[in-house]
Amino acid sequence: MNIKTAFSVMPDSQNAVADIRAQLKGFNPKLVVFFASSTFAPDEIAERMEEAFPSAETFGCSTSGEIVTGKMLTKSLVAMAFNKRAVKDCKVEIIENLNKESYKAFNAFQRHFKKPMKDLDPHKYVGIILVDGLCCKEELIMDKIGDLTNVTFIGGSAGDDLKFENTYVYANGKSYTHSAVLAIMKPSTEFSFIKTQSFCQLPQKLVVTKANEFTREVFEFNGKPAAVAYAEALGTSVEEAKSRFMHNPIGLVFEGEPYVRSPQQITGESMHFYCSVKEGMELSLLESTDIIASTKKALDDAQTELGGLSGVVNFNCILRTLELGQKGLTEDYGKVFENVPTVGFSTYGEQYIGHINQTATMLVFR
Amino acid sequence: MAGKIRQMIDTIISQRAKDNAMLAGVIKTKLMLKGIDPGKFTLQSPDDPAVIGKLEILMKEL
Repeated sequence: MNIKTAFSVMPDSQNAVADIRAQLKGFNPKLVVFFASSTFAPDEIAERMEEAFPSAETFGCSTSGEIVTGKMLTKSLVAMAFNKRAVKDCKVEIIENLNKESYKAFNAFQRHFKKPMKDLDPHKYVGIILVDGLCCKEELIMDKIGDLTNVTFIGGSAGDDLKFENTYVYANGKSYTHSAVLAIMKPSTEFSFIKTQSFCQLPQKLVVTKANEFTREVFEFNGKPAAVAYAEALGTSVEEAKSRFMHNPIGLVFEGEPYVRSPQQITGESMHFYCSVKEGMELSLLESTDIIASTKKALDDAQTELGGLSGVVNFNCILRTLELGQKGLTEDYGKVFENVPTVGFSTYGEQYIGHINQTATMLVFR
Repeated sequence: MAGKIRQMIDTIISQRAKDNAMLAGVIKTKLMLKGIDPGKFTLQSPDDPAVIGKLEILMKEL
Protein backbone atom coordinates (compact mmCIF):
# COMPACT_ATOMS: atom_id res chain seq x y z
CA MET A 1 0.00 0.00 0.00
CA ASN A 2 1.70 3.19 -1.16
CA ILE A 3 -1.15 5.57 -0.31
CA LYS A 4 -2.46 5.58 3.22
CA THR A 5 -5.06 7.65 5.04
CA ALA A 6 -5.47 8.62 8.66
CA PHE A 7 -7.94 10.64 10.65
CA SER A 8 -8.38 11.99 14.15
CA VAL A 9 -11.36 13.38 16.04
CA MET A 10 -9.17 14.61 18.93
CA PRO A 11 -10.34 18.18 19.62
CA ASP A 12 -6.91 19.80 20.04
CA SER A 13 -4.24 20.06 17.38
CA GLN A 14 -1.44 18.53 19.50
CA ASN A 15 -3.29 15.29 20.14
CA ALA A 16 -4.92 15.21 16.69
CA VAL A 17 -1.58 15.48 14.91
CA ALA A 18 0.00 12.95 17.28
CA ASP A 19 -2.88 10.61 16.49
CA ILE A 20 -2.33 11.03 12.73
CA ARG A 21 1.40 10.50 13.13
CA ALA A 22 0.84 7.33 15.13
CA GLN A 23 -1.48 5.94 12.44
CA LEU A 24 1.16 6.62 9.80
CA LYS A 25 4.03 5.22 11.86
CA GLY A 26 6.46 3.27 9.73
CA PHE A 27 4.94 4.56 6.47
CA ASN A 28 7.68 7.12 5.69
CA PRO A 29 5.66 9.53 3.53
CA LYS A 30 7.09 11.70 0.77
CA LEU A 31 3.94 13.83 0.60
CA VAL A 32 1.14 14.43 3.08
CA VAL A 33 -2.02 16.31 2.19
CA PHE A 34 -4.30 17.15 5.09
CA PHE A 35 -7.63 18.83 5.66
CA ALA A 36 -8.40 20.31 9.05
CA SER A 37 -11.61 21.48 10.63
CA SER A 38 -11.75 25.21 11.22
CA THR A 39 -11.98 24.38 14.93
CA PHE A 40 -8.20 23.92 14.90
CA ALA A 41 -6.06 27.05 15.27
CA PRO A 42 -4.58 27.52 11.79
CA ASP A 43 -1.00 28.37 12.72
CA GLU A 44 -0.84 25.47 15.18
CA ILE A 45 -2.20 22.82 12.86
CA ALA A 46 0.07 23.90 10.01
CA GLU A 47 3.16 23.96 12.19
CA ARG A 48 2.42 20.66 13.95
CA MET A 49 1.75 18.80 10.71
CA GLU A 50 5.02 20.08 9.25
CA GLU A 51 6.90 19.02 12.38
CA ALA A 52 5.21 15.61 12.46
CA PHE A 53 6.46 14.73 8.96
CA PRO A 54 9.82 16.48 8.56
CA SER A 55 10.86 14.37 5.57
CA ALA A 56 7.69 15.04 3.61
CA GLU A 57 6.09 17.92 1.78
CA THR A 58 2.94 18.76 3.72
CA PHE A 59 0.12 20.99 2.63
CA GLY A 60 -3.60 21.38 3.25
CA CYS A 61 -6.41 23.73 4.15
CA SER A 62 -9.27 24.47 6.50
CA THR A 63 -12.64 22.93 5.78
CA SER A 64 -16.39 22.88 6.20
CA GLY A 65 -16.32 19.19 7.00
CA GLU A 66 -13.90 16.40 6.29
CA ILE A 67 -14.03 13.19 4.29
CA VAL A 68 -12.00 10.04 4.92
CA THR A 69 -12.35 6.45 3.78
CA GLY A 70 -15.95 5.44 4.41
CA LYS A 71 -16.87 8.50 6.46
CA MET A 72 -17.99 12.10 6.41
CA LEU A 73 -16.78 13.86 9.53
CA THR A 74 -16.82 17.20 11.25
CA LYS A 75 -14.37 18.81 13.66
CA SER A 76 -11.68 16.37 12.57
CA LEU A 77 -8.27 16.20 10.95
CA VAL A 78 -7.84 13.91 7.96
CA ALA A 79 -4.70 13.13 6.00
CA MET A 80 -3.52 11.18 2.99
CA ALA A 81 0.12 10.13 2.83
CA PHE A 82 1.99 9.11 -0.32
CA ASN A 83 5.30 7.25 -0.05
CA LYS A 84 8.08 7.43 -2.61
CA ARG A 85 6.64 4.46 -4.49
CA ALA A 86 3.40 6.43 -5.02
CA VAL A 87 4.95 9.76 -5.90
CA LYS A 88 8.21 10.10 -7.84
CA ASP A 89 8.45 13.85 -7.36
CA CYS A 90 6.44 16.72 -5.95
CA LYS A 91 6.77 20.43 -5.34
CA VAL A 92 4.55 22.66 -3.26
CA GLU A 93 4.38 26.41 -3.75
CA ILE A 94 2.36 29.21 -2.25
CA ILE A 95 0.88 32.11 -4.15
CA GLU A 96 0.60 34.73 -1.45
CA ASN A 97 -1.65 37.68 -2.02
CA LEU A 98 -3.76 36.60 -4.94
CA ASN A 99 -4.06 40.17 -6.20
CA LYS A 100 -0.46 40.10 -7.34
CA GLU A 101 1.29 38.21 -10.11
CA SER A 102 1.85 34.53 -9.50
CA TYR A 103 5.01 34.06 -11.56
CA LYS A 104 7.17 33.49 -8.51
CA ALA A 105 5.43 30.17 -7.85
CA PHE A 106 5.46 29.09 -11.48
CA ASN A 107 9.14 30.01 -11.85
CA ALA A 108 9.87 27.85 -8.81
CA PHE A 109 8.06 24.93 -10.43
CA GLN A 110 10.10 25.40 -13.59
CA ARG A 111 13.37 25.43 -11.65
CA HIS A 112 12.38 22.29 -9.71
CA PHE A 113 11.17 20.22 -12.65
CA LYS A 114 13.82 21.69 -14.97
CA LYS A 115 11.40 22.51 -17.75
CA PRO A 116 8.89 25.26 -18.56
CA MET A 117 5.35 24.81 -17.24
CA LYS A 118 4.09 24.55 -20.81
CA ASP A 119 6.32 21.55 -21.43
CA LEU A 120 5.19 19.47 -18.43
CA ASP A 121 3.45 16.38 -19.75
CA PRO A 122 -0.15 16.34 -18.47
CA HIS A 123 -0.15 12.53 -18.52
CA LYS A 124 2.80 12.42 -16.12
CA TYR A 125 2.20 15.43 -13.89
CA VAL A 126 -0.88 16.55 -11.99
CA GLY A 127 -1.59 19.61 -9.91
CA ILE A 128 -3.61 20.09 -6.75
CA ILE A 129 -4.82 23.58 -5.88
CA LEU A 130 -6.26 24.76 -2.58
CA VAL A 131 -7.49 28.35 -2.47
CA ASP A 132 -8.71 30.73 0.20
CA GLY A 133 -12.46 30.16 -0.07
CA LEU A 134 -13.45 33.74 0.68
CA CYS A 135 -11.16 35.60 -1.72
CA CYS A 136 -13.26 35.26 -4.90
CA LYS A 137 -10.07 34.86 -6.92
CA GLU A 138 -10.45 31.24 -7.97
CA GLU A 139 -11.38 32.09 -11.56
CA LEU A 140 -8.38 34.37 -12.00
CA ILE A 141 -5.86 31.85 -10.70
CA MET A 142 -7.37 28.94 -12.65
CA ASP A 143 -7.43 31.06 -15.79
CA LYS A 144 -3.77 31.94 -15.33
CA ILE A 145 -2.79 28.32 -14.65
CA GLY A 146 -4.76 27.19 -17.68
CA ASP A 147 -2.90 29.67 -19.88
CA LEU A 148 0.51 28.56 -18.61
CA THR A 149 0.30 24.80 -18.67
CA ASN A 150 -1.53 21.73 -19.96
CA VAL A 151 -1.09 20.05 -16.57
CA THR A 152 -4.52 19.59 -15.00
CA PHE A 153 -5.00 21.30 -11.69
CA ILE A 154 -7.80 19.98 -9.53
CA GLY A 155 -8.82 21.11 -6.08
CA GLY A 156 -11.09 23.04 -3.81
CA SER A 157 -11.68 26.28 -1.98
CA ALA A 158 -10.94 26.19 1.73
CA GLY A 159 -13.89 26.38 4.12
CA ASP A 160 -14.58 27.44 7.70
CA ASP A 161 -17.63 25.46 8.77
CA LEU A 162 -20.07 27.96 7.26
CA LYS A 163 -18.89 30.86 9.42
CA PHE A 164 -17.63 32.75 6.31
CA GLU A 165 -15.08 34.62 8.42
CA ASN A 166 -11.60 33.23 7.64
CA THR A 167 -10.40 30.30 5.59
CA TYR A 168 -6.80 29.11 5.47
CA VAL A 169 -4.45 27.19 3.25
CA TYR A 170 -1.43 25.49 4.78
CA ALA A 171 2.10 24.85 3.52
CA ASN A 172 5.67 25.10 4.78
CA GLY A 173 4.40 24.82 8.36
CA LYS A 174 2.44 28.05 8.04
CA SER A 175 -1.11 29.17 7.48
CA TYR A 176 -2.06 31.70 4.84
CA THR A 177 -5.09 33.74 3.92
CA HIS A 178 -5.86 35.33 0.57
CA SER A 179 -3.48 32.77 -0.88
CA ALA A 180 -3.41 29.54 -2.83
CA VAL A 181 -1.36 26.40 -2.40
CA LEU A 182 -0.29 24.75 -5.63
CA ALA A 183 1.24 21.29 -5.60
CA ILE A 184 2.55 19.57 -8.70
CA MET A 185 3.03 15.82 -8.35
CA LYS A 186 4.61 13.24 -10.58
CA PRO A 187 2.75 10.09 -9.51
CA SER A 188 4.30 6.70 -10.07
CA THR A 189 0.94 5.32 -11.12
CA GLU A 190 -1.75 6.30 -13.57
CA PHE A 191 -4.20 8.91 -12.42
CA SER A 192 -7.46 10.39 -13.63
CA PHE A 193 -10.14 12.87 -12.69
CA ILE A 194 -13.76 12.78 -11.70
CA LYS A 195 -16.10 15.75 -12.04
CA THR A 196 -19.57 14.80 -10.88
CA GLN A 197 -22.34 17.26 -10.26
CA SER A 198 -25.64 15.33 -9.99
CA PHE A 199 -27.74 17.59 -12.19
CA CYS A 200 -29.67 17.21 -15.41
CA GLN A 201 -29.99 19.97 -17.98
CA LEU A 202 -33.41 21.53 -18.46
CA PRO A 203 -34.45 23.23 -21.72
CA GLN A 204 -34.66 26.75 -20.26
CA LYS A 205 -31.78 28.98 -21.36
CA LEU A 206 -30.49 32.07 -19.57
CA VAL A 207 -28.18 34.24 -21.66
CA VAL A 208 -26.08 36.62 -19.57
CA THR A 209 -26.75 40.05 -21.05
CA LYS A 210 -25.31 42.16 -18.23
CA ALA A 211 -22.94 41.07 -15.46
CA ASN A 212 -19.94 41.96 -13.35
CA GLU A 213 -17.74 38.88 -13.53
CA PHE A 214 -15.41 40.15 -10.79
CA THR A 215 -18.14 40.54 -8.19
CA ARG A 216 -19.94 37.42 -9.50
CA GLU A 217 -23.09 39.46 -9.97
CA VAL A 218 -25.54 39.07 -12.84
CA PHE A 219 -27.79 42.03 -13.54
CA GLU A 220 -29.65 40.68 -16.56
CA PHE A 221 -30.51 37.40 -18.20
CA ASN A 222 -32.11 37.49 -21.65
CA GLY A 223 -32.31 41.28 -21.45
CA LYS A 224 -34.48 41.11 -18.32
CA PRO A 225 -33.63 41.65 -14.63
CA ALA A 226 -31.74 38.52 -13.60
CA ALA A 227 -33.98 37.50 -10.72
CA VAL A 228 -37.09 37.95 -12.86
CA ALA A 229 -35.64 35.89 -15.71
CA TYR A 230 -34.51 33.13 -13.33
CA ALA A 231 -37.92 32.99 -11.67
CA GLU A 232 -39.65 32.90 -15.06
CA ALA A 233 -37.42 30.02 -16.12
CA LEU A 234 -38.50 28.17 -12.98
CA GLY A 235 -42.14 29.10 -13.53
CA THR A 236 -42.43 30.75 -10.14
CA SER A 237 -42.17 34.08 -8.33
CA VAL A 238 -38.91 35.85 -7.47
CA GLU A 239 -39.64 35.27 -3.77
CA GLU A 240 -40.21 31.56 -4.27
CA ALA A 241 -37.19 31.32 -6.57
CA LYS A 242 -34.89 32.04 -3.61
CA SER A 243 -35.78 28.68 -2.12
CA ARG A 244 -34.91 26.85 -5.34
CA PHE A 245 -31.21 27.74 -5.55
CA MET A 246 -29.89 24.41 -4.34
CA HIS A 247 -32.28 22.33 -6.44
CA ASN A 248 -32.07 24.47 -9.58
CA PRO A 249 -28.73 26.15 -10.11
CA ILE A 250 -27.62 27.11 -13.59
CA GLY A 251 -24.75 25.76 -15.63
CA LEU A 252 -22.51 26.38 -18.56
CA VAL A 253 -23.03 23.20 -20.54
CA PHE A 254 -20.31 22.24 -22.98
CA GLU A 255 -20.34 18.96 -24.91
CA GLY A 256 -22.91 17.61 -22.48
CA GLU A 257 -20.91 18.53 -19.35
CA PRO A 258 -22.43 21.12 -17.00
CA TYR A 259 -20.07 23.51 -15.23
CA VAL A 260 -22.36 24.60 -12.41
CA ARG A 261 -22.85 28.18 -11.28
CA SER A 262 -24.77 28.19 -8.01
CA PRO A 263 -26.92 31.15 -7.06
CA GLN A 264 -25.98 32.70 -3.74
CA GLN A 265 -28.57 35.41 -3.24
CA ILE A 266 -30.97 37.77 -4.92
CA THR A 267 -30.25 41.45 -4.27
CA GLY A 268 -33.01 43.64 -5.61
CA GLU A 269 -33.41 42.20 -9.08
CA SER A 270 -29.78 41.09 -9.46
CA MET A 271 -28.37 37.72 -8.58
CA HIS A 272 -25.06 36.90 -6.92
CA PHE A 273 -23.41 33.59 -7.65
CA TYR A 274 -20.70 31.53 -6.01
CA CYS A 275 -18.88 31.56 -9.33
CA SER A 276 -18.04 34.13 -11.99
CA VAL A 277 -20.48 34.50 -14.85
CA LYS A 278 -19.42 36.32 -18.01
CA GLU A 279 -21.53 38.44 -20.31
CA GLY A 280 -22.55 36.55 -23.40
CA MET A 281 -22.49 33.13 -21.73
CA GLU A 282 -25.47 30.97 -22.60
CA LEU A 283 -26.40 29.10 -19.45
CA SER A 284 -28.90 26.33 -18.86
CA LEU A 285 -31.26 25.79 -15.97
CA LEU A 286 -30.32 22.60 -14.11
CA GLU A 287 -32.26 20.27 -11.88
CA SER A 288 -30.77 18.12 -9.12
CA THR A 289 -30.70 14.34 -9.37
CA ASP A 290 -29.46 11.59 -7.05
CA ILE A 291 -26.09 12.54 -5.52
CA ILE A 292 -25.39 9.06 -4.14
CA ALA A 293 -26.20 7.23 -7.37
CA SER A 294 -24.33 9.62 -9.64
CA THR A 295 -21.27 9.76 -7.39
CA LYS A 296 -21.18 5.98 -7.10
CA LYS A 297 -21.43 5.65 -10.88
CA ALA A 298 -18.65 8.18 -11.41
CA LEU A 299 -16.40 6.31 -9.00
CA ASP A 300 -17.24 2.96 -10.59
CA ASP A 301 -16.48 4.37 -14.05
CA ALA A 302 -13.11 5.64 -12.83
CA GLN A 303 -12.39 2.24 -11.31
CA THR A 304 -13.16 0.62 -14.65
CA GLU A 305 -11.11 3.17 -16.58
CA LEU A 306 -7.99 2.67 -14.44
CA GLY A 307 -8.49 -0.99 -13.60
CA GLY A 308 -8.64 -0.31 -9.88
CA LEU A 309 -8.17 2.59 -7.46
CA SER A 310 -5.52 3.04 -4.77
CA GLY A 311 -6.50 6.54 -3.64
CA VAL A 312 -9.10 9.26 -4.04
CA VAL A 313 -8.84 12.93 -3.09
CA ASN A 314 -12.39 14.31 -3.02
CA PHE A 315 -13.20 18.01 -3.18
CA ASN A 316 -16.92 17.93 -2.41
CA CYS A 317 -18.98 21.11 -2.48
CA ILE A 318 -20.46 22.16 0.86
CA LEU A 319 -23.80 22.60 -0.92
CA ARG A 320 -23.74 18.88 -1.73
CA THR A 321 -22.81 18.14 1.87
CA LEU A 322 -25.73 20.26 3.10
CA GLU A 323 -28.14 18.58 0.69
CA LEU A 324 -26.95 15.15 1.81
CA GLY A 325 -27.47 16.21 5.41
CA GLN A 326 -30.99 17.48 4.71
CA LYS A 327 -31.88 14.17 3.09
CA GLY A 328 -30.25 12.03 5.80
CA LEU A 329 -27.72 10.66 3.32
CA THR A 330 -24.45 11.79 4.90
CA GLU A 331 -23.51 8.32 6.04
CA ASP A 332 -24.48 6.82 2.69
CA TYR A 333 -22.19 9.25 0.86
CA GLY A 334 -19.28 8.31 3.11
CA LYS A 335 -19.90 4.66 2.37
CA VAL A 336 -19.52 5.27 -1.37
CA PHE A 337 -15.80 5.64 -0.56
CA GLU A 338 -15.44 2.81 1.94
CA ASN A 339 -13.50 0.48 -0.35
CA VAL A 340 -10.74 2.85 -1.47
CA PRO A 341 -8.36 5.03 0.58
CA THR A 342 -10.05 8.43 0.41
CA VAL A 343 -9.47 11.84 1.85
CA GLY A 344 -11.25 15.08 1.13
CA PHE A 345 -13.27 17.94 2.47
CA SER A 346 -16.40 20.01 2.02
CA THR A 347 -15.38 22.99 -0.04
CA TYR A 348 -16.51 26.54 -0.77
CA GLY A 349 -15.95 25.87 -4.46
CA GLU A 350 -14.26 23.32 -6.65
CA GLN A 351 -11.58 23.61 -9.28
CA TYR A 352 -11.17 21.49 -12.39
CA ILE A 353 -10.11 23.34 -15.52
CA GLY A 354 -11.99 26.32 -14.05
CA HIS A 355 -13.91 27.24 -10.92
CA ILE A 356 -17.25 25.51 -10.39
CA ASN A 357 -19.93 24.91 -7.78
CA GLN A 358 -22.10 22.10 -6.41
CA THR A 359 -19.69 19.56 -7.81
CA ALA A 360 -17.35 16.92 -6.48
CA THR A 361 -14.01 17.07 -8.22
CA MET A 362 -11.75 14.15 -7.46
CA LEU A 363 -8.20 13.14 -8.21
CA VAL A 364 -8.03 9.37 -8.43
CA PHE A 365 -4.97 7.11 -8.51
CA ARG A 366 -4.70 3.64 -9.98
CA MET B 1 -12.20 42.24 -41.07
CA ALA B 2 -13.22 38.66 -40.32
CA GLY B 3 -11.93 35.24 -39.45
CA LYS B 4 -9.08 36.14 -37.14
CA ILE B 5 -10.76 34.64 -34.08
CA ARG B 6 -11.31 31.29 -35.81
CA GLN B 7 -7.70 31.22 -36.95
CA MET B 8 -6.44 32.05 -33.46
CA ILE B 9 -8.61 29.36 -31.86
CA ASP B 10 -7.40 26.76 -34.34
CA THR B 11 -3.77 27.76 -33.76
CA ILE B 12 -4.10 27.57 -29.98
CA ILE B 13 -5.75 24.17 -30.09
CA SER B 14 -3.31 22.67 -32.58
CA GLN B 15 -0.20 24.02 -30.84
CA ARG B 16 -1.32 23.23 -27.29
CA ALA B 17 -2.98 19.87 -28.00
CA LYS B 18 -0.62 18.56 -30.70
CA ASP B 19 -3.15 16.04 -32.08
CA ASN B 20 -4.13 14.83 -28.59
CA ALA B 21 -7.93 14.66 -28.64
CA MET B 22 -8.26 14.70 -24.84
CA LEU B 23 -6.10 17.80 -24.56
CA ALA B 24 -8.01 19.47 -27.38
CA GLY B 25 -11.21 18.93 -25.36
CA VAL B 26 -9.65 20.48 -22.26
CA ILE B 27 -8.44 23.51 -24.20
CA LYS B 28 -11.89 24.01 -25.74
CA THR B 29 -13.36 23.86 -22.22
CA LYS B 30 -10.86 26.46 -21.03
CA LEU B 31 -11.98 28.71 -23.87
CA MET B 32 -15.63 28.18 -22.95
CA LEU B 33 -14.88 29.17 -19.36
CA LYS B 34 -13.21 32.32 -20.69
CA GLY B 35 -16.52 33.08 -22.38
CA ILE B 36 -15.31 32.07 -25.84
CA ASP B 37 -17.40 29.32 -27.45
CA PRO B 38 -15.01 27.74 -29.96
CA GLY B 39 -17.91 26.29 -31.94
CA LYS B 40 -19.50 29.66 -32.61
CA PHE B 41 -16.72 31.30 -34.62
CA THR B 42 -16.11 30.74 -38.32
CA LEU B 43 -13.82 32.29 -40.88
CA GLN B 44 -16.67 34.69 -41.60
CA SER B 45 -17.09 35.79 -37.97
CA PRO B 46 -16.25 39.47 -37.44
CA ASP B 47 -13.11 40.27 -35.46
CA ASP B 48 -14.27 41.12 -31.92
CA PRO B 49 -11.41 43.01 -30.18
CA ALA B 50 -12.40 41.78 -26.71
CA VAL B 51 -12.28 38.14 -27.78
CA ILE B 52 -9.06 38.68 -29.71
CA GLY B 53 -7.52 40.25 -26.61
CA LYS B 54 -8.27 37.17 -24.51
CA LEU B 55 -6.88 34.87 -27.19
CA GLU B 56 -3.73 36.95 -27.55
CA ILE B 57 -2.93 36.37 -23.87
CA LEU B 58 -3.26 32.64 -24.40
CA MET B 59 -1.14 32.70 -27.54
CA LYS B 60 1.55 34.65 -25.72
CA GLU B 61 1.98 31.72 -23.36
CA LEU B 62 2.59 29.27 -26.22
